[in-house]
Amino acid sequence: MRAFGKTRFIRHSGLALVLAGVALLVFALASLTWGDVRLGPGQLVDGLLGRDEFAATILWQIRLPRLLTGMLVGAALSGSGLVMQVYFNNSLASPGLLGVSAGSAAGAVVAIGSGLATFTLLTVPIFAIAGALAATFGVILLARRGASTERLLLAGVAINALLGAVTSYVLSAPTVSYERNAQLVFWLIGGLEDRTWEHIWMAAPIVPAVLLLLPMGRSMDLLSLGATEAQSLGVDVPRLRRNLLGLSTILTALATAVAGTVGFVGLIVPHILRLLVGSEHRRLVPLSLIGGAAFVVGCDLLGRCAGGARLGVVTSLVGAPFFLWLLRRAER
Amino acid sequence: MSRAALSLREVTVPGRLHPVSMELPPGLVVGLVGPNGSGKSTLLAVSAGLLPGVGREQNDVRWNGQAVATIPALDRGRRASWTPAEARFEFGFTVRSVVAQGRYAHGDDGAGVEEALARLDLVALAERPVNRLSGGERQRVLLARALATAAPLQLWDEPLAPLDPRHGLEVLSLARSLSRAGGTVVFSLHDLRLAQELDFVVLLEGGRLRAAGAPAEVLTPKRVRAVFGVESCLRPSLCLSLP
Repeated sequence: MRAFGKTRFIRHSGLALVLAGVALLVFALASLTWGDVRLGPGQLVDGLLGRDEFAATILWQIRLPRLLTGMLVGAALSGSGLVMQVYFNNSLASPGLLGVSAGSAAGAVVAIGSGLATFTLLTVPIFAIAGALAATFGVILLARRGASTERLLLAGVAINALLGAVTSYVLSAPTVSYERNAQLVFWLIGGLEDRTWEHIWMAAPIVPAVLLLLPMGRSMDLLSLGATEAQSLGVDVPRLRRNLLGLSTILTALATAVAGTVGFVGLIVPHILRLLVGSEHRRLVPLSLIGGAAFVVGCDLLGRCAGGARLGVVTSLVGAPFFLWLLRRAER
Repeated sequence: MSRAALSLREVTVPGRLHPVSMELPPGLVVGLVGPNGSGKSTLLAVSAGLLPGVGREQNDVRWNGQAVATIPALDRGRRASWTPAEARFEFGFTVRSVVAQGRYAHGDDGAGVEEALARLDLVALAERPVNRLSGGERQRVLLARALATAAPLQLWDEPLAPLDPRHGLEVLSLARSLSRAGGTVVFSLHDLRLAQELDFVVLLEGGRLRAAGAPAEVLTPKRVRAVFGVESCLRPSLCLSLP
């Protein structure tokens, strides 16, 4: 895309990392202190250290799980989007648009709706990963690597519709109890409400997946300038592609398993960062992870300030206009 | 001769290359000529180990006597370099960072990059995004990246086509200095007059090897007429060289 030729605004990669880190820290502190009960700096420290029992309960039972889930989900979705953009060599590829999020959601809904999720903590993530894999293979079948934007997005529309139908079927099935249905709908909109430490353990594999992604920046750079060239320069391209696809699918699935469908993170964050620091993945990979975490925590804060709008609602309200703007830009 | 820098034995690519066998000793600048669609690009790609055999058949391509199929991907990046005929850059990397990609297989991103930039006259463009360059400038970026790999075997697909006369001659002189240092440079070209000046010429027609050897033996008027459908003769003409 021509947009990537624009000059970078931030030339120093260290500076960009520091800025993203500071943004994340500010949002994190705000996320811990704001809410129905406002906590001052003193209460925050006392609560975290367990010296103030009331603050400790709020922080350790409600706000920290919410914050950590948000950070994990943001990093996972943003990293997943960046990887998909490299894999498909198309800057509009992302978990939401390609239906991978919908696949994870369908898998998780089946797990919850069938009652299997009550047996073990791992059921939802495993079903989500299975659903995400199905969606990923569907997209690959419909649109090959390097496919045109139209083809890729149309494949995404088809996959989204198909897996959306699976979700709707489970929701409308008479065997699903009303209570479970309410739980499903609440979860489908995507949000960080009522997250517990259980959810963090569920999403914990995001951490090793992200660590595996970190050293791959340079080979992603080579791949994004042509697969044959990358192969001739010493990159084991088939293996790299398998790893990229596997990692991005798992990241999206885990994020969706704990927070429901949260759209547009994987599209917006890598895009904004590319405009700011350029296209080099060695810089983009760590930045996307931190930036994604900051973006999701920030959106969650925004929703809480707006009277409890859920995370999935906020990211879509922010993301959809941004996506339309990108499409217009790509056309020109 | 197992010391051949590049040897192909009965290499076949269905529909594009019929069994081709040849051996190139090190230290040569080799021109690959042939009409459009004669298999030049395919031969270069297969020589670079980028087109594996179909099914169980491994194409028998060897570098310095070692079968390419047995060389790990990373080592290949150090031993041979390949550039495509047309460079398409989707993302706006800077020229310098693209050239530094040539160091991937070496695990560093500095060694030889500045020299490669200077050699291809890219110093002034080093910070420009590659997707904003002209076709000739992009080709020079590819060649600089190939040079940065420091690979002894260089395989270039029509490197001279988009270049202006001056840069074309500089690339040619680069190829000669690489071959003097013991490297082997193989590139495809359409300019038969230029091919006449090289150390060695390989002539392809319809995916088959027609002839290989010294230019004067390969590019005879009779063969040029048979393969290219043009008459040729030798006579004094305008000669361009670097001052």
